Amino acid sequence: MWRFVAGRGAQYLLVLCLTVILNFGLPRMMPGSPMVFLAGEDVGFLTPEQRAQLYALYGLDQPQWRQFVTYVGNLARGQLGYSFQRGRPIGEIVRERLPWTLGLVGTSLVLATFLGVALGAVSAWRRGSALDLGTLGVAMFFESVPSFWLGMIFIAVFAAHLGWFPIFGAGTAGAAFEGWGLVVDRARHLALPLATLTLITVPGMLLIMRYAMLGVLGEQYIATARAKGVPEGRVLRRHAVRNALLPVATVFMLNLGFVVSGATVVETVFSYPGLGRLLYEAVLNRDYPVLQSTFFIITVSVIAANVAADLLYPLIDPRVRRR
Amino acid sequence: MRRGVGLLLVCALAMGGAPPAAGQPTSQPSALRMAITRDEGALNPYTYQTGYPGWNLMTLIYEPLFTPDADNIPQPWLVRQYTVSQDGRTWTFALHPNIRWHDGRPFTADDVRFTYEYVRRNPHSRWTGQVRTIESIETSGPTGLTIRLNAPSSGFAAQPLADLPILPRHIWENVANPRQFNDVVGSGPYRLAEMRDGQFYRLVANDQYFAGRPKVRELVLPIIRDATVTFTALRAGEIDTTVRPLAPEVVAEFERAAGMRVARGAGYASTILQFNAEHPVLREPKLRVAIANAINTRLMVRLLLLGYGVVGSPGYIHPSSPFYNPAVTFTASKSRAVQLLNELNYVDRNGDGIRDLPDGAALRFTLLTLAGNPVRIRGADLIRSWLRDVGIDVRVVAQEDASIIAQVWPDFDVCKGRRFDMAVFGWSAPVMNRTTALRDLFHSDCRQGTINIGGYRNPALDRLGADLAAAVDPARQKQILFEMQKIVAADLPVHTLFYQDGIYAYRPDRHAAWVYQKGQGIVNKLSFIDPPRR
Amino acid sequence: MSTLAAAAGLPAVRRRPALGAAGWAGVLVLAALVVMALFAPSLSPHDPEETVGDPFQPPSRAHWLGTNDIGQDIASELIHGARISLTIGFLAAAIAVGIGTAVGVVAGYFGGWTEATLMRAVDLVLVVPFLPLMILLAAYLGPSFWNIIIVIGALVWARPARVIRAQVLAVKALDYVEAACAIGCRHGRVIVRHILPSVLPLALAQFILAASNAILIEASLSFLGLGDPTAKSWGTVLYYAQARNAFLSGAWVWWVIPPGVLITAATLGFAFTGFALEEVLNPRMRGRRGAG
Repeated sequence: MWRFVAGRGAQYLLVLCLTVILNFGLPRMMPGSPMVFLAGEDVGFLTPEQRAQLYALYGLDQPQWRQFVTYVGNLARGQLGYSFQRGRPIGEIVRERLPWTLGLVGTSLVLATFLGVALGAVSAWRRGSALDLGTLGVAMFFESVPSFWLGMIFIAVFAAHLGWFPIFGAGTAGAAFEGWGLVVDRARHLALPLATLTLITVPGMLLIMRYAMLGVLGEQYIATARAKGVPEGRVLRRHAVRNALLPVATVFMLNLGFVVSGATVVETVFSYPGLGRLLYEAVLNRDYPVLQSTFFIITVSVIAANVAADLLYPLIDPRVRRR
Repeated sequence: MRRGVGLLLVCALAMGGAPPAAGQPTSQPSALRMAITRDEGALNPYTYQTGYPGWNLMTLIYEPLFTPDADNIPQPWLVRQYTVSQDGRTWTFALHPNIRWHDGRPFTADDVRFTYEYVRRNPHSRWTGQVRTIESIETSGPTGLTIRLNAPSSGFAAQPLADLPILPRHIWENVANPRQFNDVVGSGPYRLAEMRDGQFYRLVANDQYFAGRPKVRELVLPIIRDATVTFTALRAGEIDTTVRPLAPEVVAEFERAAGMRVARGAGYASTILQFNAEHPVLREPKLRVAIANAINTRLMVRLLLLGYGVVGSPGYIHPSSPFYNPAVTFTASKSRAVQLLNELNYVDRNGDGIRDLPDGAALRFTLLTLAGNPVRIRGADLIRSWLRDVGIDVRVVAQEDASIIAQVWPDFDVCKGRRFDMAVFGWSAPVMNRTTALRDLFHSDCRQGTINIGGYRNPALDRLGADLAAAVDPARQKQILFEMQKIVAADLPVHTLFYQDGIYAYRPDRHAAWVYQKGQGIVNKLSFIDPPRR
Repeated sequence: MSTLAAAAGLPAVRRRPALGAAGWAGVLVLAALVVMALFAPSLSPHDPEETVGDPFQPPSRAHWLGTNDIGQDIASELIHGARISLTIGFLAAAIAVGIGTAVGVVAGYFGGWTEATLMRAVDLVLVVPFLPLMILLAAYLGPSFWNIIIVIGALVWARPARVIRAQVLAVKALDYVEAACAIGCRHGRVIVRHILPSVLPLALAQFILAASNAILIEASLSFLGLGDPTAKSWGTVLYYAQARNAFLSGAWVWWVIPPGVLITAATLGFAFTGFALEEVLNPRMRGRRGAG
């Protein structure tokens, strides 16, 4: 057991190291220069001496390995540095943005998991029925729809045409709501992006749950329970669903790691101020420090989610515990 | 486990839902909501991002000594009166006496001197070059100021006087890296009340402003990246106006819409076909003229802009500009293009429909364009098909901005050369307004022709550029600029395709006192406050 | 991480269903789209590259779906778009499954350090944020039609690799493979004779799922402005519709809905076929879709 844990730990450490290197290297391999964000739009009017002075200020004149050492050193001390583009500390920007992403993507993952489990269980239980086929059809449809397209149509119909929801943003800009007003405002802004994201996440969960259920339903103990006269609803909840949850839990944990990376496309469509959009803008702006930091935060949380899944696994699955 | 995660997310939501930091005044229903397109840093002179609208918004908070009027002529603003010496080298100013910084400290001539010296020490792409002509600055008392130039300068009033915003010395004195400094205490009619990354800025009127109270109490600037979403929000009344010019295809829609008004005027932003004048084949002016003859710019304006634009002038300068030379004209003709190509002995030698160079290589070019701009991509595609008609093979490559810049304008430094054939490119409105625009665009010395991204060289134009910089008399300036346009039109280092009109929609019941600044639009200081009385 | 997914292994389904109605429906939709792509020139009323009318025209008899922002016929664009979109789907999937199969087979068969290294690479691809990697590759290679294919292929191979490796492990444990090894084991021979045949059906299912994925990715890339806007795929049609404000003018009914429906139909067609195949062929099916 301990050898297993140590081996696994070493592997994660290796992946972490590799990603730190990649996080540093990838942005710098992209063609294009961050100069315009250091100097401003009229960068053409700087003299070569002034350019050099600017590069030196940001350490970009140093050899790559030097910059790498500085980067790793700062990372070790928990310093994320300043954004090239915004001139603000990255920690501050991330703190402002992370809650939105967690709220949107996290809520959608939880919602999608519950819906997926419920629908998948019913679907498998009534396998082959019109209900099952209908559910599957709808699920496959949403699995196949481009998310930005769905989002744009939601805006056109529910926001612009019917006026039920606001068109953009995570809250009414500049408004200072308090108490219930604030909650309602946030919820109204969250509704459409949440619906979009949830609709495209449910199918994956549903299919896994349905498949797992089909497997469980074929097991001996279900037949035994039924034979003993246990009511159907009880068999479904107590025996079948409980045992089919394992793979769903695994996928949930793995997706949990990606919650932090946000949902770039959906955030872009709905002008939602999450990390996904921050990352996308940083890529376009060659904002190296922001790129490095967001990459790092995302990879760490993905790895953490995997570690958590590894650790939680024996707790959920009695078979693993016995081994 | 699931319950735990659920709890976590509830906490996260609560964090996202945290009310704004305590002590900030709350928004009023009277706030004017004007959508912007991206984050603009902390909106101070060193962290704002874009020339438009970033500079226009930043100068509501930090003010230059002069301000361009509706015709882009610099007028004194913080300055009560000023004189220029006979030789054009000594400028003497008397500042308004009652100006205060947002923190209550008095605004003095010393702050001005400090700022002009500060931008010299701390490179800023926009201003460091502008203050290079200054020899010395002296103050006399809190409002007296004398600036001495090392040579008379034609554009000094426009730049830096009407361009460089003044910084408060008591705050910036010890700032070593201004790009990581986020203080926003200025002297302007508005102060920054709130800023949310990726969401919005909130500016409130400065009631102590020396020139009176601004016309709008509060300005909320939501950030909306997507054009369609911006226009949809505008039509639905979620915002009152936007810094984004209306796209041609939605103008009719907004002209019809109830409660909306549309302001339209000349746009000084250009769309050009940029040639690499160092390219072994494209360095031949005759070929560039032939290519221009194959391009139907009139049809481009009709098709791409639905008529909301002006066909490009061959001398680059917009017909509405006071410096436009009406004698410089160009009419495209396909037969003329064919004739020129034949004269150059570029004929199809192998029967593949593509003309070949005398050495046998095909007449084939790559045309770069920015992937984020659909009008330009479509324009590039039209150019491709028209050039194909006269036997020139063009491949259009559309890439995201930074990748294109890396080829056309490596490191944003003309001195570093270029790696491209042709590009559909463009310059923003302020370039047209600079008196020195044609020198900046076409001077062969990369330190003077700072945006000569094609590497064009012509000694005659260089000489005129030198004359222009020294000319102070407006009539003489105009005469030189007329000559320069003639040279540009004959050589076509760039082929100016069109200028898109500036069309802006707003809700007049929310704010109607908009001032349309020529070539630039409605987002400027004059829309929010009247000029101070002398 | 890799073993985690394997350990999560779903309980085996006992019955092996036939392709089923859904599977056949998928095949039918795909066949229809392929026919549309093959006969695009004769099916489409106009040349999609040609300006054949005024820009922004609503549907009429001459232009069933109206015209786009430079007066090209939208219906013709969509019919020709089938070629580009399906080609991107097929080729990107081929690359992905090619790499995935190679990695999966080698890792599963040889085990030990080879396996550890390869599977760590798989983990790495799954951990690194997808979008920047995409932009990086697209920017590096230039966003041509072919490069988009390579980029998508190079990024979606990790899942097939995992699935195939699991299958190889299962096959390796079978008696006849061990027997083959017992009488003098030549790796190449064993792989070609015993391992590959047993993973090929699975690879086929993975191929079809990857194709479905690739079409969606291409559309999203185009939407973000990272595709090749000069290649007329369905995603590109959507990009222009959105960029030229179709949502504001009511044009979205004929300019946005049809390409979206086509993308969905193709993805759905691939997915139905793929899932049905997978259900038939792979007892340890698992499906996962990232949150992004």
